[in-house]
Amino acid sequence: MAAKKLRRAQLSQEMCERLSRYQITTCQDFLCLSLLELMKVTGQSYYEVQKLLCKVSQACAPKMQTAYEMKLRKSVNPSSAFLSTTLHSLDRVLHGGVPCGSLTEITSPPGCGKTQFCIMVSVLATLPVSMGGLDGAVIYIDTESAFSAERLIEIAANRFPAYFDSDEKLFCMTCSIHLYRELTCCSVLKRIMSLEEEIISKKVKLIIIDSVASVVRKEFDTKLQGNLAERSNFLTRGASVLKYLAEEFSIPVILTNQITTSLSSGPATQADLVSPADDLSLSE
Amino acid sequence: MQREVGTLPLAPALRARLAAAGFQTAQELLDTGPCGLSKEIGISREEALEALQVVRQECHGDAARTAGGSGATRRCTALELLEEEQTQGFIITFCSALDNILGGGMQLTKITEICGAPGVGKTQLCMQLAVDVQIPECFGGVAGEAVFIDTEGSFMVDRVVDIAAACVQHCHLIAEAQQEEDHQKALETFSLENILSHIYYFRCRDYIELLAQVYLLPEFLSEHSKVRLVVIDGIAFPFRHDFEDLSLRTRLLNGLAQQLIIIANDHKSAVVLTNQMTTRIGQNQSTLVPALGESWGHAATVRLIFHWDNSQRLATLYKSPSQKESTIAYHITSHGFRDVQPPAVTHSAEGTEVNPRKRPRTEEEKQ
Repeated sequence: MAAKKLRRAQLSQEMCERLSRYQITTCQDFLCLSLLELMKVTGQSYYEVQKLLCKVSQACAPKMQTAYEMKLRKSVNPSSAFLSTTLHSLDRVLHGGVPCGSLTEITSPPGCGKTQFCIMVSVLATLPVSMGGLDGAVIYIDTESAFSAERLIEIAANRFPAYFDSDEKLFCMTCSIHLYRELTCCSVLKRIMSLEEEIISKKVKLIIIDSVASVVRKEFDTKLQGNLAERSNFLTRGASVLKYLAEEFSIPVILTNQITTSLSSGPATQADLVSPADDLSLSE
Repeated sequence: MQREVGTLPLAPALRARLAAAGFQTAQELLDTGPCGLSKEIGISREEALEALQVVRQECHGDAARTAGGSGATRRCTALELLEEEQTQGFIITFCSALDNILGGGMQLTKITEICGAPGVGKTQLCMQLAVDVQIPECFGGVAGEAVFIDTEGSFMVDRVVDIAAACVQHCHLIAEAQQEEDHQKALETFSLENILSHIYYFRCRDYIELLAQVYLLPEFLSEHSKVRLVVIDGIAFPFRHDFEDLSLRTRLLNGLAQQLIIIANDHKSAVVLTNQMTTRIGQNQSTLVPALGESWGHAATVRLIFHWDNSQRLATLYKSPSQKESTIAYHITSHGFRDVQPPAVTHSAEGTEVNPRKRPRTEEEKQ
């Protein structure tokens, strides 16, 4: 929305040309200027500039919806609101399962089963809706090279032996899980940015990133001064794109995180607050 | 009428021409008339007429202001303000301890900022307020509507449904206990569908959408004149990334704060903002402070900080022009934002983080 050109904001042709002489071509450039600067640049009076501001704002502003409309939309399709994890107590606590349309974070010490959980949820997502799945493809971004395809087939065959009764069905399932191995923060961010087109073309219904913490901790040493700002920049950018994708396509996004010690008075081990699912990007 | 030409809101090029031609006061312009003006400066008659209309509007506005009418600047005595404040309603939060330390609840015409770590309950309080602002007047509410601007995507409709249902039930219980007629009438319109249809939701994905929405807000509020609450959930989130130029960020935030103050005053509504926390790396330790920098601290009139103490959630009133600093405990239940049972209020600042920048409070004897 920010990069929308002023031409499409229904400003007149000469106004756009005049503004482009001052290098103001997008709505973002226009809205970042103060009123006095805008008067100078457009050569218009105060009231005219206010009207122009309203026009440009209308081109950028989001649409209004009432909470009632949102609820109606959700209740039209209740089954697609959650992805059931098939663990009944977990589903009960989560009020149905992993929610579609928002980010979910899974944190634990090493060896507790985060990657296993992710592999299982990938299988669940490929199942048809009648069996509680989402009947779609999965994008799995793996930063620790912990994904094992054999384990995937093992889980599928043992968990749903009635459904995966032939090798063909198993291969079909594996075809719809797209694995990307990314080893640096930069490549993870680039991959996240490119996901929008992949989601549409491959009919993706679940995104898993396993794990965010490993790339971040590898590259950003928080003891160095400048790194904190860069790290939080990377995390919030990734978070906002993922949130946008989750909401736009109404799909669940699962992120895994690691544990670290917080050096406070208590001996508590606290979750590494590196996760972008929280809106806090803090150091340990 | 003696207003200088340079202060009139005309186009800069026109102002330059008027100055070059020697015009000094607005009265001179009005005396010249459109034809004379167009000949002297070399502009078309239509442009001259437009300019004179602007001048006339400004001078008329000036005259109205000096006569004590309503205009861009308001003049009134403190007594009038006192009467206004005393009749003004508060938006209750359903947590009596929090309402007590705030002096009754969220104040209308003021900006309140809620800071806290993630998961501590800021969005929960915002959703509670969006429901509570709609409570009818006979139950002690302000009977208004709510605008919810969401930048983080944490607004969950199902949760609002739960909170609203609990609120409606609470009102039903009060009505049964008191058996008054207007209670019954008010309850007819205070239903779940009505509550949800009066929460106007905007999802802003980046700071440009947020700026654009705040520019359009006055017009929206004039159309929906019953709005008494504007919530911006996550004012920090869009400003924390992709900003290489920090001075631009400060400028935009200050502009935003000023517009919100104007909106709060003109439309008699409360503005509630939520902010994140960030670490400030000090000499040997790092402390948690509200995000967006020191200058943003001046924007809000009232500041609440939510934090954890082991597993108890606490709310501290950090900045307020009329109430004392205190900390209370609160609970988030399935019905929403509530007191801890029994409601415990501690009016002292000891025992919680003492703000090192403020002089410690000494309890005065009451004579």
